Amino acid sequence: MTTQTQNLQKVDHNALKANQLTIITINLLAFIFNFPILAAIVAVVMGLGSLLKVPGFLPLYRYFYKPLGLLKPDVLDDNPEPHRFAQFLGFIFMTGGSVALFLGASALGWGLVWLVIVLAALNAFGGFCVGCAVYYWLVRLNVPGFAKIPPAGFFPGMKPKARV
Amino acid sequence: MFNADVLTRAAIALAISLGCLGVYLFYNWTLEFRTRHLLADLDPKPPDAFTLVYFTTPTCVPCKTVQRPAIQKLRQMLGTALHVVEIDATERPDLADRWGVMSVPTTFLIDPRGKLRHVNHGVARAEKLLMQIHGG
Repeated sequence: MTTQTQNLQKVDHNALKANQLTIITINLLAFIFNFPILAAIVAVVMGLGSLLKVPGFLPLYRYFYKPLGLLKPDVLDDNPEPHRFAQFLGFIFMTGGSVALFLGASALGWGLVWLVIVLAALNAFGGFCVGCAVYYWLVRLNVPGFAKIPPAGFFPGMKPKARV
Repeated sequence: MFNADVLTRAAIALAISLGCLGVYLFYNWTLEFRTRHLLADLDPKPPDAFTLVYFTTPTCVPCKTVQRPAIQKLRQMLGTALHVVEIDATERPDLADRWGVMSVPTTFLIDPRGKLRHVNHGVARAEKLLMQIHGG
């Protein structure tokens, strides 16, 4: 049985937001201009981010969003693992979508891309991380490898606002 | 570059985005509708007063350090024109559930006619609450 723990770490939620906003923008451009290659690039970056355990578009946050003052650090006590899992889920959807697009299954491919856009928008603008909620749901089911419980007082997946 | 196909796709993207916005607005409307029937949960309020329903928990740090002082400041400024109902979500999980509270602090601003004006998920500073009261 998995031991459930709450060992919160500092998580910069605006680094996550920068990642989501970039994913939304590139995917929208991919859809509007019918460039599946852009969707594939997003998939690759999200995959690399999952592998390195950081938001895929973190360099853009460090060298573009932050220096221009578009986003400022928003460091909160949170579990980083559910966010990594959410990115990994996004990577799976984006990979599936990209493969479908290159195989000619446009409806399925763009459907998966739009799913990622909508979930990223829900996270960026609504503060609700569906992938994180899935992670916490797997914790409740005692799935091995999923051990972190949500920050006290917060609904699983909701951004722990203004916790200092 | 901006041929008919691109414009069609842009229109589809816009339609989907507006659809998502519509879902969000509908969710807020259902929250407002649900809250309308929940006012019976509250103590009788003074007439012509705004009601601020404030959900908190004993372990919520920003509630103590930011939200409560903000509400106290607002009380001093508005006096009897503001009726504050503080609810401990750990003591009244039934109320938190019925009001759709998913994190603390959450504040509901209800106007004197009993209409929900604003829902603040997370800390709402005094200036923001005041703007919501005066701004409508």
